[in-house]
Formats: sequence, C-alpha cells, structure tokens
Amino acid sequence: MATPALPLARGRNSGRPRAGMSAIERSRRRLFWPMLMPALILMALFYLVPIIYAGWLSLNEWDGINQMTFIGADNYVRLAKDPVFIGSIINTLKILFIVGIITFVFAFGLTMILRDMMGKKFVRSVLFFPTLINAMVFGIFAGFLFSPAGPVNKLLLLVGVQDPPKWLAQDNLFNMIMIVMIWSATGYFTTIIMSAVDQIPAYYYEAAGLDGAGPWAKFRHVTLPLAWDVISVCAVLWTMSSVKVFELILVFGGSTAKAPPTSTWSTALYVYQAAFGSGGDREFGISAASAIVSLILVTVLTIGLRRMLRREAIEI
Amino acid sequence: MNKVITQPPLPTESVSAPGPSRPRMRRRSSRKDRISPGGYVGRTVAWLLVAFNLFLLVWMAVTSLRDTRDIVRDPLGVPAVPFVENFTNAWNTGGFGTAAINSVIATLVSSLLVVAISAPAAYVLAKSTRKLSSTFTLLFVLGLGVPGQVLLVPVYIMMAKFQDISHLQMLNSIQGLVLVLVGLGIPFTVFLLAGFFRSLPVEIEEAAAIDGSSGIRTFIQIVLPLARSGLVTAFMLAVITGWNETLFSLVLLTTSENRTLPIALLAFLDQAQFNGADWGGLFAGIVMVVTPVLALFIWLGRRIVEGMTVGISK
Repeated sequence: MATPALPLARGRNSGRPRAGMSAIERSRRRLFWPMLMPALILMALFYLVPIIYAGWLSLNEWDGINQMTFIGADNYVRLAKDPVFIGSIINTLKILFIVGIITFVFAFGLTMILRDMMGKKFVRSVLFFPTLINAMVFGIFAGFLFSPAGPVNKLLLLVGVQDPPKWLAQDNLFNMIMIVMIWSATGYFTTIIMSAVDQIPAYYYEAAGLDGAGPWAKFRHVTLPLAWDVISVCAVLWTMSSVKVFELILVFGGSTAKAPPTSTWSTALYVYQAAFGSGGDREFGISAASAIVSLILVTVLTIGLRRMLRREAIEI
Repeated sequence: MNKVITQPPLPTESVSAPGPSRPRMRRRSSRKDRISPGGYVGRTVAWLLVAFNLFLLVWMAVTSLRDTRDIVRDPLGVPAVPFVENFTNAWNTGGFGTAAINSVIATLVSSLLVVAISAPAAYVLAKSTRKLSSTFTLLFVLGLGVPGQVLLVPVYIMMAKFQDISHLQMLNSIQGLVLVLVGLGIPFTVFLLAGFFRSLPVEIEEAAAIDGSSGIRTFIQIVLPLARSGLVTAFMLAVITGWNETLFSLVLLTTSENRTLPIALLAFLDQAQFNGADWGGLFAGIVMVVTPVLALFIWLGRRIVEGMTVGISK
C-alpha cells in the first residue's frame, strides 16, 4: 500500500515533473492515513456499522431488554400490512412530490421576480432565514395562529368570515404541515437557484429579447436549460431532506399528547414512534425495518431522479 | 476564538461591489423598464412574504414579553410594560436555563471537534491523487444522503452498550450527545471543507515544500490559516445543525438536567397538556431557540448562505 517514493506523481496532477511536486506528493502520501483516519473511524462507527446493524435488527424481534429472536422477514411483512406505515410512506412521498414541486415553482417564480428587483439580497436573506430555524418553532406558531379562537380566525371574523375552516382538524392537519413546509423551504431553494441564474450572462437574455422572447420564453429557453444542473442537484437535496422531516410533524398543532395523530406521520416519525414512542413497547426490530425501508426509498428515489434529470451539460 | 472570527466578510468590498455594476444594472433595467403587470404582482407577492416573515419574528419577540392571559385575550397585542417574568420563569422553573447552558456547551464543543477532525481528512481527500481518495470522497458524500432515522436505533443501542462496557455516561449525558453530533456531522463537514481546500492554490504549498516545510507544518501553518474562512463557515454550519438537533437528543436525553433547548421546548409543550398552556413562557423558550441563530445569520449571513448553497451546487 504505502509506496512513499514514487518518482512521479500519477493521477490528476501528473505531467508536471517539478521537484516541489514530488516532495509535496511524498509528504502527502505519508500523511494520507494519519490525517484521514479519525474521520474515517467516526464515519464507520456512526454510518457504516449502524446501517449494517439496522439491517440485522430488522430481521429480529427485540424490545431492548429480553432475548433477541431472529424472525426473518416478518417485520417487513408486518410493515406491509400496517396502514400507519403505508400512510407514513405516502405522506413522505407527498412531501417529496407535492411540497417539492410547489416549492420549486415558487422558487423559480421568486427567482424571476427577484432577478432585477431592488433590494433582492435583503428579500433573499429574509426568505432564507426559516431554513435555519428548528422547524418545531413553526409547528408551535401554526398551532397558536390557527387555533379555533386564534389570531387567524379572529382576523377572518373581522373580514366577515363567520365559519372559518377547521384548520387543525385531523383531515386538514397534513395539508397545513405541507403548507408550512413549502413556506419554509422556498427561501432555501430560491437562494440556490438564484445563484445559478445569476451566473447566466445578461446578453443571453438581451439576445432572446431582441428575438422577441417574452418573459416566459426567456425562462423556458434561457433560464431553465442553463440552470438545469443546479435544478437536478436541488431535486436530490430535496429528496434527502424530505425523507428526514421530523420536528415539524412531531409538534404540529401544538397538540402533542406525546404523539401526533398517526395520519400525519412521516417515515421518520414512524421509526421514532416504533422504537421510543409513548405506546410503551419498544419495538427495535420494527423500527429498524422501517428505517431500512426509508433508506431504500431515499436511495431509489435519488438514483431515479438523477437518471430522469440527467442530460448533457451546457457550457456557459 | 476571537482570532478565528476577526476576519469579517470585508464589508468595504461588499459595499463597493455594487458601485461599478450599478450603472450597468440601471441601463439594463431602464431599457426594459416597463415592468409588466405580472412583474408588479410578483414584486408585491415577494414583499408581502418578506413582511410576513419579519412580522413573525417581531410578533415572537413581542409576545414573549407579554403575560399569558393578555396573549390569549389578544394574540396580536403589544404589552404596555414588558413582562420579563416570562424569561425568568422559563429560565428557572421551565428548565430552559439548564437547557440553554447544555445547548451552548454541546453545540460549541461538538462543532469545534467536528471541524478539527474533518479538516485534515478533507485536506488529504482534496489534494491527494491516490485512487483511494476518490473512493473515500464518495463514501463521505453517500453519508450525506443517509436519513438520520436510519441510524437512530442502532446508534442508541451502541451508545448504551458503550456505556456498559466503558462505564462512561453516554445516555443522558452531554458528552454522549457531543459524540453523536460529531459522528453525524462528519460527512457534511468533510464534504464542505474538501470543496474549499480544492479551491486553494497549489503553488503556496509547493513553495512551502521547496522551503523545506514538512507536510504537517505546511498544513497547520500555511494551509489552515489560508482556509480560515472555510473553517469558520464549516464551524457556523455545525453550530446551527447542533443547535437545532432534535431527533437524537430526544432519544439520548431523557432526564431534565441533561435536556438541550429543543427538548426542553418539547417537554414544556407536554407539560402544557396538564397545566394549561403557559404561552408567555413558551414564547420565551422559542426566543431562546431562535435568537442565537438569528444573531449568527445577521452577523455572518453571507457565509452561512454560501456554505449551504454554493458548496452544494458544485
């Protein structure tokens, strides 16, 4: 493995036979393992081992106290029959696709609006800010603002709405969660897309304008193709973060009697509730199985999205 | 500490930057200055959103200074006299005091450690020409995509087992949480810093090597100071992640002495089920969760935004 004295560095930086290079190269090779090792060990301990362990746990029944018993794929069979789990998968997919698509449309709309607007940096910063806050806070806010006698309904009453919707009723709860997510994620994706759109030279738009392109045509034929790579990165980012959604749902409505209604659960909620929920039983096996399913879900979706969105890069 | 951060994002430069480009922008916008009706609608929507977000922040701050009965009677009112008791109550009896201290310690220690461990790794991955290094880079990138819940149960069990073997307190302890935060934060920090090190010019290291500086010395004395702004960004992002972490803290910290702020907030909510909601105290707690991040964002917003967006879109 360790061949410290290679006369010439091979690889990306090769082809530059300077004395300095090889000295650097040699000392870099000596430092490779010592400098990498601590991070690699943590990576193994907190990612590799736990994933393998989760795979093993998912084939067992265990409450953390008694003997672990191997039950094969039974946990997965149970999950497939559990309407709450199926619901949590559907909710996660709703977050991914419905919230994702609306957020992207908004983000693009805002990018177009902000492109040559006064104070766009300020606007962008203010819209970005929710990304940095623990989503729990927004859950509590929504619970307060939309409570039956809360500010929103009072304002509606002033406008003459006598019979406001039951915002936080079971049937509406998940839609409300999605709206809050759209609101808090839009700023983040607007910022990323804007940084890509800002790099598109203005003369493309001017040329398109001379050819008689309207705003839509400019968007469709200039912005969209040139920002495509960033869009596909954003899609992957959103996939990864949509599977993780946890805090917002946990507290949404401010009515946490330990657990939110099962109709709003995401896969993260399911994993948590199965292992540590207030139901009492610790079902590590089921929890691990649902975790493995969500890992497979995120992997398949990420690969699928990347395939779908891949195309030839366009050089600016 | 101070030394690390005394390099503010060069305000003069960012102020003067729009200067030369301003006339060009003007010209461009004046040529097609007739903003379409859709443009006006769009701008109005954008500013309404901004107004709403700012309103939420102000409302949060104002409400945290009001008596709970006032809040319930008129949720959008302003207090005649600031009701500071919310904060003293939340700090002392609501458990937010201990939680705030725990949060600060866990966040700062874990963020320092994760940057200290990730920086050398990111450096060799960015600069090494070994085939192995691209394999490892891929490994860290893949780690980015693993949802936290996949690791939740195994990490919990491993921490419990480690506690049994080592007799070090791992569950219900801040050191346990720190360890988990460091471990989970590695992929993102390595990824971010590797991108940063890659952008540093090679020539400086070459010069150092020619002058006979050893690899370690070059790294510590030359590369790290050059990479200071990247390290600060990585540290800030680790702080924000650590400060907001909820899922693992919820599982690892179950006693009131060890809670961090998000967990204290959840406990406060749970209590409200039985004692009736103390909205004033709750808002005081929310202010404690939000304010440090808000302050960081106002102070170093540009770096935070770039760290979270530019690095990622590459």
